[in-house]
Amino acid sequence: MRCLECLVTSKPIFSDQRTQAALLIAPAIVIYIVFAIYPMVNVVALSFQHWNGLDANKEFVGLDNYVDIFTKDPVFWGAFHNTVIWTILSTVFPPLVGLLLALGLNQPIFGRNGLRAIFYLPVIIAPIAVATMWRWMYDPFFGLFGQVLTSLGLQAWVQDWLGNRNIALYSAFVAYLWQTVGFSMVLFLAGLQGVSKTLIEAARIDGAGRLNVFRYVTLPALKPTITVVLVLAIISSLKAFDIIYGLTGGGPAQSTQMLALWAFTQSMQIFDFGRGSAISVVLLLITLSVVIPYLRWTRKSEENEE
Amino acid sequence: MTLSVSAAAGEVAERQQRDWVLIALWLTLAIVALIWIAPFIFIVFTSLKSNAAVMSSSAFAPPVDPKFGNYSGAWDRGRFNTTVFNSVIITVIKVPLGLFISAMAAYALAKIEFKGRKLLLLAILFGTMIPFQVMLAPLFTLVNGLHLIDTYPGIILPYLAFGIPYQVFILQSFFRGIPKELSEAARIDGASHFVIFRRIFLPVSLPVLAALLILDFVSTWNEFAMALVLLQDRAMWTLPLGLSAFQGQFSRDYGQLNAAIVMTVLPAAIVYLIFQRYFVSGLTSGAVKG
Repeated sequence: MRCLECLVTSKPIFSDQRTQAALLIAPAIVIYIVFAIYPMVNVVALSFQHWNGLDANKEFVGLDNYVDIFTKDPVFWGAFHNTVIWTILSTVFPPLVGLLLALGLNQPIFGRNGLRAIFYLPVIIAPIAVATMWRWMYDPFFGLFGQVLTSLGLQAWVQDWLGNRNIALYSAFVAYLWQTVGFSMVLFLAGLQGVSKTLIEAARIDGAGRLNVFRYVTLPALKPTITVVLVLAIISSLKAFDIIYGLTGGGPAQSTQMLALWAFTQSMQIFDFGRGSAISVVLLLITLSVVIPYLRWTRKSEENEE
Repeated sequence: MTLSVSAAAGEVAERQQRDWVLIALWLTLAIVALIWIAPFIFIVFTSLKSNAAVMSSSAFAPPVDPKFGNYSGAWDRGRFNTTVFNSVIITVIKVPLGLFISAMAAYALAKIEFKGRKLLLLAILFGTMIPFQVMLAPLFTLVNGLHLIDTYPGIILPYLAFGIPYQVFILQSFFRGIPKELSEAARIDGASHFVIFRRIFLPVSLPVLAALLILDFVSTWNEFAMALVLLQDRAMWTLPLGLSAFQGQFSRDYGQLNAAIVMTVLPAAIVYLIFQRYFVSGLTSGAVKG
């Protein structure tokens, strides 16, 4: 109807608001739907099928893949367990260290911009390069840690950091911590700019000590930032892939195996797309259980602002 | 009188105490920063040592007789010619193109009233949070179905798709803050949205675009998981894939391995050091305010 109008009134062809909006949005939305949303939907479909990734025909098998990964897959629960540990560690330590650094670097101290830059530098390095660096640093013979401990006279402490299945997961996490602390720090630094200086001064004049100012003024004002940092920490820990792939490949003896990597291995290396997709769906559901409440919370706080 | 004197004395005492706290704080932070930067020093030093020197000298001993040959050796054996070329092509096409189509969509979502806008916005916001990287297998299936495995479009299109949500989201919230008066006049003069977008909105949002451009450069340059699945042919590998393969093949050639790490990391590090402030503004505009 509208288009007829525009022909009659001989306005430029795209004068209609809706057409213009559609044309502006189309490229982004089409690519987003085809290459991001569709695979996400398809992973659910694939998880109900038996398929090797190449055959023309896929066989519908219902919940078989899920039953398989929950009961027959000897690695799945280990990977699940490791993912939980990894997520807990990454939700606690990078944000905590990041907060401490941000509080320190928010003070008027000498060279703080340089110090901030140093802590942020690892964030911009490819995770696969971080993995390669740390794999070499963890070398039990000539690596950094072995050498430093030896020079301190602590040879007995030297371990095969990534080869010992009791500590490999934690060794990998230290590399991850090194890389991600700067990210939390920058977010906290930005959040700290929003903490009212007059409020802090007022509290100090009233005789509040440092700790109390932090406890009763700074911390409450940082609440929204803390939520954002924690949610982002959880999400990025769930998709930790590159760093594990590069450091240990899931070994030794699957002791560092994670859901994201195991989904990849099942599909792309064992060629069991059904099982691989079922693992992806599990991971997706875990992620959604964090993302959906978070999105609700942001919408609510936005409405409150308005 | 006495009151003000004692207050002043108290202030002085407090300031002295404060100075000591700041010095202690500075020392702590400096030591932690040294620990944080130590891996880089170790990698650069090792990259200039021969294997014999690596085995005989201390980790933090500077290379006595720097072996710059490690770099050319790693460049050849790691096929850096190919991987750098591919990384550059993919990044140079993907980053500006992605930003442009994201900006277009963001403008429409922010400034044109139409049905279903809120729903689209929600779908976009959702996309910023979902780790699509865990869905590597269906992505492979899709790209394989389109016969685009081992091609530039086959990697660029998924990269675009995963970059769009975050960029659209940041840009639309930025565009929303641009006062109506700026575009209203042009609208009355009969300018279409395309013209307003290009002539008014793109120029005023250059700082945000720059921040997003740099963030996106780094994440595209560093991307590994999707490339691993979608680029199987060696001739199509990007830098991160090349480094991973190098580590698999030559992990006992310490000097060259570390030279390969330095060469992979350096471009992103340089971009970061030059454009530091953009990183912070790009990140925080999305995560904290958005």
